[in-house]
Amino acid sequence: MRFTKLAIRNARETYRDPLALGFLIAFPLLFMLLFGAALGGNSDFSYTIGVVDKDKTGVSEQFVTQALDSVPILSIATFETDTLAGDSLKNGDIKAFIVLPSGFGEEITKSWQQENPDIVLDLVYDESDLTVSSQIISAINISVREFANIKIPITIRTSHINVETEVSQMDFIAPGIIIFGLLIMVPTSARIMVRDKETGFMARLLATPTYPWEFIAGYSASMLVVAIVQIIIFILLAVAFGMNVVGSLSLAFLIFFLTAVCSISIGMIVAALSKSENQAEPLCWIIAMPLAVLSGVWFSREIMPEYIQFMGDLFPYSHAVSAARMVIIRGAEFSAVSESIIIIAIWAIIAFITGIVLFRYKMRA
Amino acid sequence: MLCCLLKPTRGTASVMGFDINREPRSVKTVIGVSPQETTLSEHLSPLENLELIAGLRGISPDRARKWSKAMVEIMGLEERSKDQVRKFSGGMKRRLSIAMALIADPAVVFLDEPTLGLDPQARRALWEYIASLKGEKTILLTTHYMEEADFLSDNIAIIDSGKIAALGTSMDLKTLSMEKRTIVINAWNITIKAIDLIRDKYKEVKINGNSLSISGKYLDFKETTDFIHSTGAIIRSAYFKEPSLEEAYLKITGKELAG
Repeated sequence: MRFTKLAIRNARETYRDPLALGFLIAFPLLFMLLFGAALGGNSDFSYTIGVVDKDKTGVSEQFVTQALDSVPILSIATFETDTLAGDSLKNGDIKAFIVLPSGFGEEITKSWQQENPDIVLDLVYDESDLTVSSQIISAINISVREFANIKIPITIRTSHINVETEVSQMDFIAPGIIIFGLLIMVPTSARIMVRDKETGFMARLLATPTYPWEFIAGYSASMLVVAIVQIIIFILLAVAFGMNVVGSLSLAFLIFFLTAVCSISIGMIVAALSKSENQAEPLCWIIAMPLAVLSGVWFSREIMPEYIQFMGDLFPYSHAVSAARMVIIRGAEFSAVSESIIIIAIWAIIAFITGIVLFRYKMRA
Repeated sequence: MLCCLLKPTRGTASVMGFDINREPRSVKTVIGVSPQETTLSEHLSPLENLELIAGLRGISPDRARKWSKAMVEIMGLEERSKDQVRKFSGGMKRRLSIAMALIADPAVVFLDEPTLGLDPQARRALWEYIASLKGEKTILLTTHYMEEADFLSDNIAIIDSGKIAALGTSMDLKTLSMEKRTIVINAWNITIKAIDLIRDKYKEVKINGNSLSISGKYLDFKETTDFIHSTGAIIRSAYFKEPSLEEAYLKITGKELAG
């Protein structure tokens, strides 16, 4: 049977290539570890929420200090007025605040006495982070029902800070998806140079008096054009699918553009290190996919343990995702995201220079 | 290494006075390279490929365009000058590859297996073009085709197991490989008496009708033909039989292997 001969040959090819074998085993293993660490286990994360107690009775005080404070994922901060709590929410100090209205204690007491209570709470939350806000709403609902000893859901009147726009799931997801698309430029960028190496065309180019930086810049520039087109298409598609851009579109574009420069430069590093597409492709994915997880392109980083968040912060993409979300969803201005932009820009410059140095080193290896 | 694509493990070399270790960029300004693989940018036209290399060699866009057009014409590719090269035949790609090595007038040209995989007609056409460049440029050509080396080269280095086994002109190598010399003589009137005299004088004699083949380590052409003439035979033609370069190659590398 000829196919068995082919199968044996391919198996031998794989087993005899330590790099390929390493990727086959290490890649899924790394993913399992990352997802497991990011999403699994008993994480110590908690959300700080504010409480404005307008009832000011013993029962309401008991609800705050005992019921709410005992919810593992909630940390409680108290405020005297809605305005103070609202300011804190806008600053990002708290994720939501709950208002206990006058008569709250009375309604709870009714419930304890087996009468029908009419418990209505006002909850104002940061809707830019949908995964987090839904968890807070759920946790408050459960804790009130347990405290009041009732089975029916209570009424929580919700509102959010972006009163001028409705924040949809798309608003939250789209910036992350765009950054993920730009992360994919790592393998795309590497592929062109590596293919030239593999076909021997690079040898012809290297025999000309071209400087290493000119090579890297030449390959990068062509990809930058692709990146610009890609960003425009991504934004148009996201808007078509319902994304509302609250902030400056040009500022969002700047963040995406710098992120693309990072990806292209990282792609150049991979290309400089790889001799063939077989080497470059898995190397790119082993860089891009974990970075996507660490950067929170698909889900909020808030739910990740702190050390995973710290790891994500070391790379430009987590800064890009959060900065893009702040601009697009919250309408943040340059000053609010300047730190992230500087980090991404520094990353882009360092990666670009590293690409040149490695290319120079490898070009006569 | 001479193209500055590989770093020597030790030692150095110079190309047109430029040291390959210390001045690789200067070396690259005076060389043109056609690699073994027909490495072209497949989605570009011949003109675009040529203009790319000319541009990388520091030629201004205007001059690069003119030069490229001229090279396309010389290589007989003008009718397809705007087509993508991925649609080209092997011969056309080879010609373009060589044109890319020659653009911008480098002083030294490296041609690595320039006619590999070509049909005899295309190969012959390329040989003629390469031969026409002799005297204008230094051409360093690597090949496995002995007749190609014989036809094109002024000097040949036979490389065996990475080392130069022999170096010299084609005739030098052929002579070097000869253990004995053979003179072939066509003559009339070769009598039995003449044959006896010839056999008495020379140890290795082959006679086939009017053709005499005499072999010996120290054969002298004039002395031999004079002797044949003295036997009464009438010589029509006489010449030294040369071994082919392929025979020389086999003998030289065979010796190396045996050694």
